Amino acid sequence: MKKRWINYIIAFFIIITLNFVIPRLLPGDPLSAIYGDEVLLNLSDEATDYINKLYGLDKPVIARYFIYVFSIFRGNFGYSIYHKKPVLEILISHLPYTLILTGLSMLLASISGAILGIESGWRRGKKIDRFILSSIIFISGFPAFFTGAIFLIIFGIILGILPFQGAVEAYSGFSGFNLAVDFLKHLVLPLFSLVIVYIPTAYLLTRNSMISSLKEPYILFARAKGLTDTRIRYRHAGRNSLIPLTTQMGIHLATGLITGALFIEIVYSYPGMGTLIYNSILNRDYPVLQGSLFMVTLLVLIVNFFMDIFYVKLDPRIEYAY
Amino acid sequence: MLEVKNLNVSFNGKKILKSLNFKLKAGDITAVVGESGTGKTTLAMSIMGLISEQFSNAKVSGNIFFNGIDICTADRNQLQQLRWKRISMVFQNVDNILNPTLSINSQISEIMPGKNNDLKIKNTLARVGFPPERAVAYPHQLSMGEKQKVLLAMAYILEPELVILDEPTSSLDHHTRNNLIDIIKKMSSGRAVLILTHDLDTVRKLTKKTIMLYGGSIIEAGDTEAIFSNPRHPYTRGLLRSFPSTDRTKDLQGIRGKPEFVEEGCPFHPRCTQSINICRIQKPPLDEYEDRMLSCHRGGIIPLLEVKDVSKSYNGLDVLKSVSLNIYEGETVTLLGRSGSGKTTLAKIIMGLLKADSGEIYLDTRQVNKWDFNFYSRVQMIFQEVASAISHRLNVFEAVTEPLVIQKITERKILEEEAKKVLSEVQLPADHDFLRLYPHHLSGGELQRIVIARALILSPGLLIADEPTSSLDASIQAKILKLLNNIQEERGLGMLFITHDLGVARKVSDKILKLDNGIITEERIK
Ligand code: SF4
Repeated sequence: MKKRWINYIIAFFIIITLNFVIPRLLPGDPLSAIYGDEVLLNLSDEATDYINKLYGLDKPVIARYFIYVFSIFRGNFGYSIYHKKPVLEILISHLPYTLILTGLSMLLASISGAILGIESGWRRGKKIDRFILSSIIFISGFPAFFTGAIFLIIFGIILGILPFQGAVEAYSGFSGFNLAVDFLKHLVLPLFSLVIVYIPTAYLLTRNSMISSLKEPYILFARAKGLTDTRIRYRHAGRNSLIPLTTQMGIHLATGLITGALFIEIVYSYPGMGTLIYNSILNRDYPVLQGSLFMVTLLVLIVNFFMDIFYVKLDPRIEYAY
Repeated sequence: MLEVKNLNVSFNGKKILKSLNFKLKAGDITAVVGESGTGKTTLAMSIMGLISEQFSNAKVSGNIFFNGIDICTADRNQLQQLRWKRISMVFQNVDNILNPTLSINSQISEIMPGKNNDLKIKNTLARVGFPPERAVAYPHQLSMGEKQKVLLAMAYILEPELVILDEPTSSLDHHTRNNLIDIIKKMSSGRAVLILTHDLDTVRKLTKKTIMLYGGSIIEAGDTEAIFSNPRHPYTRGLLRSFPSTDRTKDLQGIRGKPEFVEEGCPFHPRCTQSINICRIQKPPLDEYEDRMLSCHRGGIIPLLEVKDVSKSYNGLDVLKSVSLNIYEGETVTLLGRSGSGKTTLAKIIMGLLKADSGEIYLDTRQVNKWDFNFYSRVQMIFQEVASAISHRLNVFEAVTEPLVIQKITERKILEEEAKKVLSEVQLPADHDFLRLYPHHLSGGELQRIVIARALILSPGLLIADEPTSSLDASIQAKILKLLNNIQEERGLGMLFITHDLGVARKVSDKILKLDNGIITEERIK
């Protein structure tokens, strides 16, 4: 357990450092983003220096790094030049949307993927298994934004049954219950697009480990004990097949969040972290970009931590591995 | 209670169990003995009705009647009713036989109907000697012995009528094993119990009846006591011989060859030292044979030599008073006695060098009337005095092939081939230089090996060895005895070993006969 803590702390620092480095590798500099290239070209050297000093861009990189690290610990993520607001405030206004969207979709995808995987693995080689397997492999071939776009076109535009813009209806004046319903309605399309994106991983992992679980001696033993099929399938084979899923989901979350949520949010103009990151890249809004990347990675770290705990619950042997 | 009738199981067309027939009675503990791969576990799976459910490539025919219900044709519902409630099983204690992610307690309670079974679980665990408070543990926290106890408790907790135990004692240390044997005995009373094992110690201590399985067929079955004290099938004897045990003194011997899959004929024929033509073609039926069931075309291990009531006196002094003995194929019988006790006289009578006053001698169940060429090609003798056994004028090649030459086989190529074969069998070099050596070039141990090679060259069935090692150093003696043991394992040779040395006798013998005052008494090998 102690070792695990140390691992998390090391990971945390690596994340902070990468967060500092990566945005600076992007082409262009923030000033040209704020003022536009033409203005900058016409600016006098003194004026440029002044502006650089104003935003702390004149200090050496190392100094800027330490300033960055310390301010993070103080909860100060800086000030967005572009938004003219503290970064923290911007993050807090975007984070909940992403949390709800990805959290809920991961949960739904994991549960439904696992159930599908268990049922499919149990019937390995039968018609149903082959049908589920090939459909899911088909789906997994689509990139996230494509799935999102298809959903948007079919349900939002052609059928017109669901909203596909933003998180709530703008200027509707909804409140209380109505606001909640409106919010949920807006959630449906991005949520299910994301669920579709996540399901194949959960399904394939579970199905695979289900197939190998079923070969284990304790399954034969469970049969001999005269247990019912459902009990063998879920309690004995299924439960153990979730172990790889829990470890893998933590890892997949990282890629899932970035590729999935980011693209889906953009497609649906959903005001979460994805949209925020996208906009700050376009605007070279470093502080916001750094802050949001930091938030996202922190999120991944936290989720992994909980997965670890859940994993030990599922597999009592793990405690001893540490 | 349980009746297995003509049970056949095959996987992908490969026959694993071949027309098994046997019955179990309530109250009996029966062992099914066989090496791994002989189909023991398949048999257990068949009785649990798990074969077709677990393996899609399996084919089962025949019947398994359990109190009137045919397990082979029962539907899932019926099987569900039988499993664990009436037939349970102690699975082989392999990795992951218990679900690694569920606690012991929850794995036991899920087989119990209804709720509130805590007391019963506690009691049963206590009965098998597993501390009930440890039931909260997970399988990986238990030792092998503890896991075995949990498996036992699970099998007995619903008090089923039939319990199958698959290798319940293997992979356990001696102490734990004995402890477990006691527990099994205690828990099993009143039930029918089938123990599948290759551990003969467990079989002897625990079971009343034994079924010997080889290559998916029953080859011998009967009372455990009878089978262990007097195995009739060559395989049974081989297995007993290869099993280390505290009350055996003979050096471990194996069974020649490796188990192989046999489609036709007797499953044991490639390894059997007494197989005949029909063994390859036809599978021997399992027939009643005195006190047991036996499957062998030759009625089990064949008698090679029978000496019946032989008497001999010199000058009114009775040297042999109506002595009798039997030697079976692949068996070593030792004649133990002081010098002058008549050992050599008996050997000479068997060899036809002396005439008995009365009595009969049978070879291969036919009475011997004249000691001719046929007799000597079946029976060969190694004499006490090595030096005098080989003429000093013959070189190695001539000495070894002499018996063939006497039989008028003179073609050089054949002689050379045969000489090389037997010389390598006695672990001597067979090159030209060695073949040209004369006795005075050789050591005592080498000479003795040459004498043995010479005796083997006619492929005899029986070897009479009169103090073959008395003139050798202890270390060479040990090597020669080991050599004889190996030759016996390979050829199924019967041996009459004559010695005055009890220590040597114990090392080599299946049976020790003491000759004293002209009378033979059998010494129990203990
Ligand atoms: S004698 Fe024939 S039938 Fe008997 S065990 Fe040997 S091979 Fe089998």
